[in-house]
Amino acid sequence: MHEIIRLVNRNLTISLNMGFVIWQIIFPLIYIFVAGFAYTALIHQVPFGNKTLDYPAFIATGMIGFNIMNSTLISGIIIWNDRRHGMFEQILVGPFTRAQYILSNVYTIGIIGLVSAAMITAVGYPLFFKQVEFNVLTIPLVVFASITGSILFGSIASIISTRLKSSEGFNVVINTVFLFFAFVSTAFYPAQGAPPILSTAFYFNPLTYLVDVVRAGIFGYFNGLVATEMTVLGIGATVLFLVATKLLSKLEL
Amino acid sequence: MGRKESILLYSIEINSLSKSYGDFIAVDGIDLKVEKGKIFGFLGPNGAGKTTTMKMLTTLIPPSGGKMNILGIDGIKSPLEIRKKIGVVLQQPSYEPTLSVEKSLEKYGMMWNVEKKIRKNRVEELLISFDLADIRKKKNDDLSIGQRRRVQVAREFMHDMELLFLDEPTVGLDPSARRGLLDFIKGKVKDGLTIFFTTHILEEAEYLCDDIAIINKGKIIAVDTPADLKNKFGREKTIKIHVSEQKDMSSLLSGIPDCTVEHDSGTVLTVRSSQSEQVLQEILKILASNHVPVEDLSVVPTSLEEIFLSVVKNSNA
Ligand SMILES: Nc1ncnc2c1ncn2[C@@H]1O[C@H](COP(=O)(O)OP(=O)(O)O)[C@@H](O)[C@H]1O
Ligand SMILES: [Mg+2]
Repeated sequence: MHEIIRLVNRNLTISLNMGFVIWQIIFPLIYIFVAGFAYTALIHQVPFGNKTLDYPAFIATGMIGFNIMNSTLISGIIIWNDRRHGMFEQILVGPFTRAQYILSNVYTIGIIGLVSAAMITAVGYPLFFKQVEFNVLTIPLVVFASITGSILFGSIASIISTRLKSSEGFNVVINTVFLFFAFVSTAFYPAQGAPPILSTAFYFNPLTYLVDVVRAGIFGYFNGLVATEMTVLGIGATVLFLVATKLLSKLEL
Repeated sequence: MGRKESILLYSIEINSLSKSYGDFIAVDGIDLKVEKGKIFGFLGPNGAGKTTTMKMLTTLIPPSGGKMNILGIDGIKSPLEIRKKIGVVLQQPSYEPTLSVEKSLEKYGMMWNVEKKIRKNRVEELLISFDLADIRKKKNDDLSIGQRRRVQVAREFMHDMELLFLDEPTVGLDPSARRGLLDFIKGKVKDGLTIFFTTHILEEAEYLCDDIAIINKGKIIAVDTPADLKNKFGREKTIKIHVSEQKDMSSLLSGIPDCTVEHDSGTVLTVRSSQSEQVLQEILKILASNHVPVEDLSVVPTSLEEIFLSVVKNSNA
């Protein structure tokens, strides 16, 4: 077996525990169903491109992006945990290079991101299938969003992991980042109708781009804005990935 | 291809290896040769530079200067080739908190590409050798520090290697686990493994090692077998005298040549000398002429521990 596959195998084994499954799958599902239906009373319809969506359909698709972010932020923490538990050094005195370690984390994050997206899509499907409009762009858009989104958020977590020393600091930063990304985005509510300051802030958040592209794929609505958002996601993921790799390869032992 | 290996005498050869952190020199141009198939003890007080040396030898950090050849491979040019052939137990703990003891051994073997069947057998063997069978299902997060250390050391034996680095592996272990580990290591050396063993505990080095290097402040101050170290520095004996009256014995004995007063409590006096016979005679004469009754008297060879302390003390001076 190739070194990277062995490292990915190890990464998945240490990440996929009960807590992770509950947080990643059960919690989002409860949220989709409870919040989706509870808020329908408040938010009936959401305008989206040339159509209007039910709120449950809107939030279920938002949860796909949310879950990609959530799971990749968590798996990006692999590096943090490896440093904290001495496994980073241990792996680097083993038969591996730093580049292989970094790539194995990227693949792990990508796999977890894609699987999370697929699961939420499968389970949320009954909520939005009436409004789904499959076309040639659906799969490419969702996959593109999943992969660039995974790498982008995984890189953010990796960068934070390499910069911080104390656990308290790390938790504060990760939670702050998480809360901002989760709630100042179009995952849970549309930009239209939000106060202008908030809807502007939405677009300083990569999760908004990720969620918008996923929705564009699922509801078959593609325009110039979506193309721009894809470009931003692609560039953002590339730049952050390069920064994360650079920091990690310079990390002093 | 096999030619080079068949003539390989030394598993480790380093020349004026050094490591600086800014202006601070942690390892100051050391030379070492470690014979193949031997246990080499690397001994020194805290902060001496043991871990830094080991991190360089295991290619975790690059040296600031010097040369190193590990298993016949240039350590600067081909670090990965070296890492494929060595095992390393670092001083700092390392563990997979979410995995059980047996799973973490298993996965470590997988990471080293050990065949599944061999892996399974080794896990069972190691669980027994390291007394981990009772806690095999426990998560590493829930283990005591000593148990975790045992898992960490056991884990390294999941894969094959030619040279094993151990950085203070017994720290945190209770005496029986400590002895168990040392004996396990001895057994592995019989099978041809070379071991580089770092410790600040002299007894361990004495019990285990074929050769010992003492490092202090980044410099090697002595290299020898434990027995020769004792011979070289250990002709000294320690004389302990217990008297029943409070007396200023230090000044009474100050005239005796080759007599170093180690400790003087007024009634208990400890003296070191390399000519213990004559010195003892002198002491007894002086005490008798001053009418100081001697209650108890003993002469013991100076322990390696004391040699170590005095060698380190001299090199600090
Ligand atoms: N990354 C580092 N930066 C600065 N100083 C260091 C670093 N690592 C070790 N040192 C210093 O180098 C010296 C030797 O450390 P070390 O090799 O860990 O000693 P030992 O293992 O013998 O106790 C110590 O004074 C330590 O503080
Ligand atoms: Mg040390």
